[in-house]
Amino acid sequence: MRRTLLFALGGLLLAGIIHIAVVFMVPLFADRDAWAQMRQFGRDGRFHPLPVPEPGAEPLLSLDPRMIYSVCRFSLGQGPVRIRASLPNDFWSVAIFDRRGRNVYSLNDRSAERSRLDLAVVTPVQIAQLRQDPPPSLETAIVIELPIDVGFALLRVFVADDSLMASAVGSLATADCSGSL
Amino acid sequence: MRFLIDIAIAILIATTIGFFTAWYAVEYGGQYGAVAVGEWTSWPGAGSPNADPYAVALLARTGEVPLGAGEGTAFSAEKDDSGSPLTGRCAYLIAGQTPAARLWTLTGYDANGRLMANAARRSSFHSREIVRRPDGGIEIAVSTIPSPGNWLPIARVDRFKLVFRFYDTPLTAGGGGGDIVMPKITRSGCQ
Repeated sequence: MRRTLLFALGGLLLAGIIHIAVVFMVPLFADRDAWAQMRQFGRDGRFHPLPVPEPGAEPLLSLDPRMIYSVCRFSLGQGPVRIRASLPNDFWSVAIFDRRGRNVYSLNDRSAERSRLDLAVVTPVQIAQLRQDPPPSLETAIVIELPIDVGFALLRVFVADDSLMASAVGSLATADCSGSL
Repeated sequence: MRFLIDIAIAILIATTIGFFTAWYAVEYGGQYGAVAVGEWTSWPGAGSPNADPYAVALLARTGEVPLGAGEGTAFSAEKDDSGSPLTGRCAYLIAGQTPAARLWTLTGYDANGRLMANAARRSSFHSREIVRRPDGGIEIAVSTIPSPGNWLPIARVDRFKLVFRFYDTPLTAGGGGGDIVMPKITRSGCQ
């Protein structure tokens, strides 16, 4: 009996290990995570405007229907990524996520202090190279150093009412996340 | 033989408890670091680089994209102030003061996080299109049948949830939920 109890206790310890392992492995096996769902909008390395969230036709779960969105999946393997857009004078924000959907950076129009979005996403290794020979075009950009190799950027623009929709869509269409600095 | 049975017991305990608790924690456990203000709950940690493993697992399962700390924060409610679940069979009144934010939106979703179709073609309110009380507070009626004033229509669903999103707000600068004031959700009648 005593030995059985001991084995049960060992089983409990093992249960704890399995619990931790499963929780950490869920993201590795998730095939419906944000990254995977963004595949449907088009190829990587450029912004894809999402359809306006409507009942029964939401591009992603739990989006705010008062915003319009554009997403870009990018890779820092080929060098830094520059994210640029001319956006309206109302609220907009941009968020950068890693492969697992963790938010690693975010910025809104007020903290950017201008209606032009200009971000350079750089890895720690690339930033060391950039410091030695900084390209002049980087002077206007906000340089952010992120320890990720792939990720996605989600740009959102507030649309106060339907009459502003056309201009908001137009400004979202200027978004670019090409690799060139 | 005894030994084999003991091993079997240990393995059975390990796998059932291990998998069940992991599944439960990811699916229902809620994430750590939830900030509850009345009936509203927010997970500020979900939108940060140090999101805990449970939050990351939940995000991976649902495919949701959280608001980053630099964008704003979201509060969701699935119950009214008496603790009963929000249902499309009842009418509710959301009233009170809102936290400081440059912009907020209030959106109704069904239990699966999808927008609800309705004849009024409205599923949300934002802070600039709403008629306020003289004291600056808000009053929004949530119901299936039309209501005077600010009316947020919902579908006749069994369960729904409300999400308050505050954009560009000092709420994300840290601090607990202690001094945040959120409007109350009270049930005003059922059919």
